[in-house]
Amino acid sequence: MGPGQVSWPELLQFAIAGLKNGAIYALVALGFTIVYASTNVINFAQGEFYMLGGMFATFGFSHLGLPLGLAALAAVIATAAVAVVFELLAVRPRVGGDPMTIIIVTVGGSVLLRSLARHAFGSNELALPAFSPGESIMLGGAAIDRQTLWVWAVAAVAVFALWLLYSRTRLGRAMRATAIDGEAARLVGIDTRLLVTVSFALAAVLGAIAGVVVTPLTQTAFDVGAAVGLKGFAAAILGGLGNPLAAVVGGLVLGLLESLSVAFISSTFKDAIALAVLLLVLFVRPSGLLGRSRREKV
Amino acid sequence: MSLLAAQGLTRRFGGLVAVDDVSFEVFEGTILALIGPNGAGKSTLFNLLTAFDRADAGRVAFDGRDLAGLPPHRLVRLGLARTFQNTQLFEEMTALENVLAGAHTRTRTGWARAALRLPGTAGEERDAREEAERLLRLVGLEAVARTHAADLPHGTRRLLEVARALASHPRLLLLDEPAAGLNSAETGQLAHVLRQVRDSGVTLIVVEHDMGLVMEVSDEIVVLNEGRKIAEGPPLLIQKDPAVIAAYLGEEAADA
Amino acid sequence: MAVLRRMLPGAVVAVLVLGLPLVVHDRYLLKVLSFVGIDVVVVLGLALLFGFAGQISLGQAAFFGIGAYTTSVLVAALGWPWLGGVAAAVLVSAGAGALLALPVGRLKGHYLAMATLGFGEIALIAFTELKGITGGTDGLSGIPYPQVGSFVARAPEANYLLVWAVAIVAYVLAANVVALRPGRALRALHGSEAGAQASGIDVARTKVTAFAVAAGLAGLGGALYAHLVGFISPGSFTIELSILLVAMVALGGMGSLPGAVVGAVLLGMLPYLDAVVPGLTKSTVEALQSWEADIYGAVLILVMLFMPHGLAGAFRRFFPGRGGEGS
Repeated sequence: MGPGQVSWPELLQFAIAGLKNGAIYALVALGFTIVYASTNVINFAQGEFYMLGGMFATFGFSHLGLPLGLAALAAVIATAAVAVVFELLAVRPRVGGDPMTIIIVTVGGSVLLRSLARHAFGSNELALPAFSPGESIMLGGAAIDRQTLWVWAVAAVAVFALWLLYSRTRLGRAMRATAIDGEAARLVGIDTRLLVTVSFALAAVLGAIAGVVVTPLTQTAFDVGAAVGLKGFAAAILGGLGNPLAAVVGGLVLGLLESLSVAFISSTFKDAIALAVLLLVLFVRPSGLLGRSRREKV
Repeated sequence: MSLLAAQGLTRRFGGLVAVDDVSFEVFEGTILALIGPNGAGKSTLFNLLTAFDRADAGRVAFDGRDLAGLPPHRLVRLGLARTFQNTQLFEEMTALENVLAGAHTRTRTGWARAALRLPGTAGEERDAREEAERLLRLVGLEAVARTHAADLPHGTRRLLEVARALASHPRLLLLDEPAAGLNSAETGQLAHVLRQVRDSGVTLIVVEHDMGLVMEVSDEIVVLNEGRKIAEGPPLLIQKDPAVIAAYLGEEAADA
Repeated sequence: MAVLRRMLPGAVVAVLVLGLPLVVHDRYLLKVLSFVGIDVVVVLGLALLFGFAGQISLGQAAFFGIGAYTTSVLVAALGWPWLGGVAAAVLVSAGAGALLALPVGRLKGHYLAMATLGFGEIALIAFTELKGITGGTDGLSGIPYPQVGSFVARAPEANYLLVWAVAIVAYVLAANVVALRPGRALRALHGSEAGAQASGIDVARTKVTAFAVAAGLAGLGGALYAHLVGFISPGSFTIELSILLVAMVALGGMGSLPGAVVGAVLLGMLPYLDAVVPGLTKSTVEALQSWEADIYGAVLILVMLFMPHGLAGAFRRFFPGRGGEGS
């Protein structure tokens, strides 16, 4: 199959796959964005939240015999708990200091969480059944897996809930104020330390949701976090770091780009596409496609 | 002859014109002060002169040479050195090492020569150290030569930055609010150092708030207000200039 | 005389290190120490780039791999002499480092960390997918031992001496660099880029040089590794290795070469602790190897929380006025 020989149904099929992955990247990208807004630092352990979500869910379902829905919910809560513990123990003592310190702490955290997961759940691939089993749904000659619909629905609900949180609650307003000017937010009495903890919990919830909902399609393993983390970051930076809407757009665009590159180029370097996009955006326009460029003041 | 000539410098930030068609000259061996109320565009102008920012229009000539397009470090090589309003010291290095780093353009040892300690590197290093120690004595910091910059008090840090800038043996030294945050004794020491530097043949441009210091040391003053040059001349005339008084009174009225 | 006195402790350490095979004949221990020596070579480069210049790289494993593959292809497949293969490995990886630094040099902090991490991943994909050159996941085997003329460094003693001679030379050169003008430029970069520019330091060029040197040393380490092990595959050049190298520098202490060496030796020895600690049971060693990554991760976090200046900082606190500084 070469360029020009891709039929419309095939193209649609690729687009569906791209938008499915894109929704996942968007959730992970939102996690990066939320933590960045409260700390001005990238959380290098973000991909591990995605991994933990899937791992906890398979564990709850297969080993504890929980019903699927309950296993999924428990997995999201457990991941958030891990994130909060990590933030309180490792990140909080260094918040506001040298950003490099937090970068290294979260890099260490990603390695630690990954290997702890390997010890806890083993190094085999683990699976989860589909949320609603059944035939794929046909659309214009392309097949949409029912789980893919779950991915979209869950991602859409999560994004909508996040939007409600940001725009309709005191907590959300405090988070937005902190993102714009942390110093000023502190001065008006916002507990910015608490917000950092909250942002880690929220980022973990989003990452874990992505991990849970995609596991029936892809299976999961202790080492899936790093690659998804990189892609989620690529999505976040593609849209422009710090802007939630841009993170969602960036995720979908990246998923489509990846998928279309498989259609028109080759699947060999599919994973390299996201990385190439990441490097390109960093080199050419670090403020992202939707972001405003910023000058550094001396 | 003028050592530095700015011509029609303009810098816009969005709709705001921070520096608006400013021209002036500095003559060799003099001290020129750039003053003006808060937000007058002094720091922006300062960054334009030192290539830390790019002008939207206008040009800067140093010793007859157009500086357009040159990066900041090349200006140092030509003989322009600067300090910062928020000191940009190398915190984990000692005072002596900070000044030695300032001698970068005057010394030559590169990676290969240093790695192999080729003949000449030791001599260059010894000379650079002697010169750095002399400069630390000049600004009165010889006692803290081995103290890390991070551990120095505020006033001392400003003087250290002056010493580091002098280490490049500049012909023109630009100081951005050198007296900010200094007590009166430290300001006195600073004035003493600035005159000594001028007398050694270095030309100075000083952005400053401290009117006492400005009137005491400067030969020539350029006054900015709202991005435009509103007056220039010797201190005694500037003090009486109605436009200057109005600009400053306006600021005080706004403050009150 | 002062020069001699200053060099004496280092010379004693060098003689002790190189004399070790006279008293130690344990082949396993010598092998382990050879690998630790390779870690030291690679970490010296990262110490200059990250520890001194403050430019984090989470992609050093890529350069280690580029060096390893370069010499393996040239020597094993194309019949180049060992020395030529190693020299080419250093040049190719240094060139790759410089090329990466040209765009990456403008980035700071987490952007730089992510970009280098992404570069490491891309290199790993390339190692895996460019099957015609790298052998894909199967890797390359039959890489010959180091050979100069008719002398083949096959014995563990010869491997050990070769690696540590290289490490000592690299250390001396790096120590000279950091003590003089280029070292001050690196540390200035770390301290304040604006201040460095105002001091006449070409920030972009300094970064490119630092990246190239660090990549070159990583490539040198990779080349030594390939010829000692005889077999390479993508699994040896993962992100985990890049992070381990950062952990070594962080543990030793930013801005300290002796610290970086100690950090490399400590973390490099960890999985092979049985080589130096007698009486360790096999299961203990296996547990240690299994928990290797957990330990590295924990070390990174703990060092940042409780010992941000690493072992060198702790040493300076207990013995004020001794060592550690570039001067």
